[in-house]
Amino acid sequence: MENGFVILFGLTMLYLAATSRIISHIRVLVVQGILLFLICFLGYKDTPLLNLAFLTAETIVVKSILIPLFLYRILKKTHAKRDEEANIPHFYCLVISSVILLFGFLTSNYMASHNSVSALHFGVAISVIVISLWLITIKHKIVSNVIEFIAMENGIFLLSLSVAGEMPILVNLGVLLDVFIAVYILGLFVKEIDKEFKDLEVSHLSGLKDYED
Amino acid sequence: MLTIHSIIISIILIFPVISGVLTVLIKRKAFSNFMLNLYGVLHFLGSMYLIFSNEANFNKYFTVDNLNKIFLLILSFVFLMVVIYNNGYTKNLTVYSNRKACFYSNAVITFVAAMTGAILATDLGTAWVLVEATTLASAYLIYFNKTKSSIEAAWKYVFMCSIGIALAFVGIIFLNISSGGINSLNYTELSKNAQFFNIFWLKLSFIFILFGFGTKMGLAPVHFWLPDAHSESPSPVSALLSATLLNSAYLVILRVFNILNITGCSIYGRIMLAVMGFLSLFVAAVFIYHIKNYKRMLAYSSIENMGILAIGTALFNGAHYAVILHLLGHSFVKASFFLTSGNILELFETKRIKSTKSIMTIDKNTAWLWIDSFIAICAFPTSVLFISEFLMIKKMIASQHYVLCVLFVLLLTVILFGMGKAVLNMVFNKSGEEKFEMTEKNKEKLSLSMYIPQTILLAIVFILGVYIPPFLHNIINMAGISMLAGF
Repeated sequence: MENGFVILFGLTMLYLAATSRIISHIRVLVVQGILLFLICFLGYKDTPLLNLAFLTAETIVVKSILIPLFLYRILKKTHAKRDEEANIPHFYCLVISSVILLFGFLTSNYMASHNSVSALHFGVAISVIVISLWLITIKHKIVSNVIEFIAMENGIFLLSLSVAGEMPILVNLGVLLDVFIAVYILGLFVKEIDKEFKDLEVSHLSGLKDYED
Repeated sequence: MLTIHSIIISIILIFPVISGVLTVLIKRKAFSNFMLNLYGVLHFLGSMYLIFSNEANFNKYFTVDNLNKIFLLILSFVFLMVVIYNNGYTKNLTVYSNRKACFYSNAVITFVAAMTGAILATDLGTAWVLVEATTLASAYLIYFNKTKSSIEAAWKYVFMCSIGIALAFVGIIFLNISSGGINSLNYTELSKNAQFFNIFWLKLSFIFILFGFGTKMGLAPVHFWLPDAHSESPSPVSALLSATLLNSAYLVILRVFNILNITGCSIYGRIMLAVMGFLSLFVAAVFIYHIKNYKRMLAYSSIENMGILAIGTALFNGAHYAVILHLLGHSFVKASFFLTSGNILELFETKRIKSTKSIMTIDKNTAWLWIDSFIAICAFPTSVLFISEFLMIKKMIASQHYVLCVLFVLLLTVILFGMGKAVLNMVFNKSGEEKFEMTEKNKEKLSLSMYIPQTILLAIVFILGVYIPPFLHNIINMAGISMLAGF
């Protein structure tokens, strides 16, 4: 059951790669948050209550409610609706993402002999991180970049779940707080950039350079 | 148990909260500035006490050990100097409302507190959290001028550093896998058990941590945010970014390198550090040669010096003293350089090198500070950087890395030429009459506090080249030794 959710989590990245409407990207983040919650909940039955409460709060409250809501509100205030002009057509995005995901599964096959790591979590997490990083490089709207950054953070979260040894709760809390504030600050900047440049194209952000025109 | 040490550390780290609440309640420009000054002095006194009292290991999360003493010393001293400069600088700001002053002071205070925490952290996880916190605290400072280019710089800074630091977290997770059942990220625990680590995962984790924290440190090829952020932020903030922030990221890399060293695969880390170091030198040389903007020139020079630190670390045994000395020298000189660039920006209202001429006839003091900073950064004797770079070159020759040595000297020479051309043109070239009137008017804005900090910093750098006091020698030596032998 838990593995099924992990695979679903990996598949959400394909949806992220193949769609252009930003609102659906935000919905994908909600789904990812819920999936992460289910993975935590099913896999961590025996963990202490405090840890479980923290993980629930992190996945449900922050990852699937607060951050998407915040992004949604920003989206409403800015001019970006679609991210159509990605450098690579969506079909090829889908193909490349699938290949990366396949490599993720192959990695988990390789990892299966490793005792201290749950292989499937590891493989999917790595492929999610790689796909997000790759999507950041090809998308044209900065708000999409923020969404992919959050997807990457979700991948890292899954990666940390795959490791048997847990991080101290204080570190977890700090990480969560940092990510949340980072998203908040990036969101504020998105608004400012929209106000200043009347658009959210990444290509506008190329004014600073070392040569003179 | 509460000791004086943990109380001091708590005060340094909790101060941002107190000042945040008070400044928001009072919301006066003068009060915000007062809090910033107060923090500068408190931070300096507290740090000095922590450094010079001989007790170690006084807190579970934060401690002062042999390695981080020198980093704390640099941070607190540079911060004090920046605070002094800042008093003159903020007076001249045209748009500096009570609200803005409140934000600015609090952002600087939080930024410095986060850096202090990152330096003092006993735990890799805590250090990670606090290094990321430095990014978030300084985002507002880079966006301070609210222009199109400053928002671009701030966006790149936050986005790139956040991704870099996120990748560093992947490295930390790998380190966790490598460490097996230890389940702790405490540096002492890690180095104690390092010989049992899984080498494959440890190496993989070092790659991620080097790239992640290397982004923050400004090593090529992940340095792209650095020139933009340094050139767009207000000069006191640029000085803090360059002279202290890069060091805190370097400390984390050094700590992890140390673990790699204990497991016996330091050669792997050394090769990676050397590659990134030389790449940084190369990038700096290429861009400085044709540079058009003097603040960007200083930013590239920071990349260069971070590269030198990486190379020095890679040289390892024999160069460790030089590395720490270089760290100290670079921070002091670069702080002075950036602060002086603030004076020039105030005088000429432009960052273009071509539009900045005859500083010598306009303002002799600024001109001499500018030239002296240049002499110091290019490692002319008696700058302390001369000794550090000399020791590194000596080490390269002694260990028969002749090609690397030639490359190192060659790249440094290109950088020296590029910077020298720009600096001398700015100081001695004749400017037109129309500029003269504007600069004469602007010169009145420069107060004494905008000259003194640089003078002190440069004086220290040039004196250290001739005489290093025993207490400092001791601190540097201990830091160098713990670079090699664990904590």
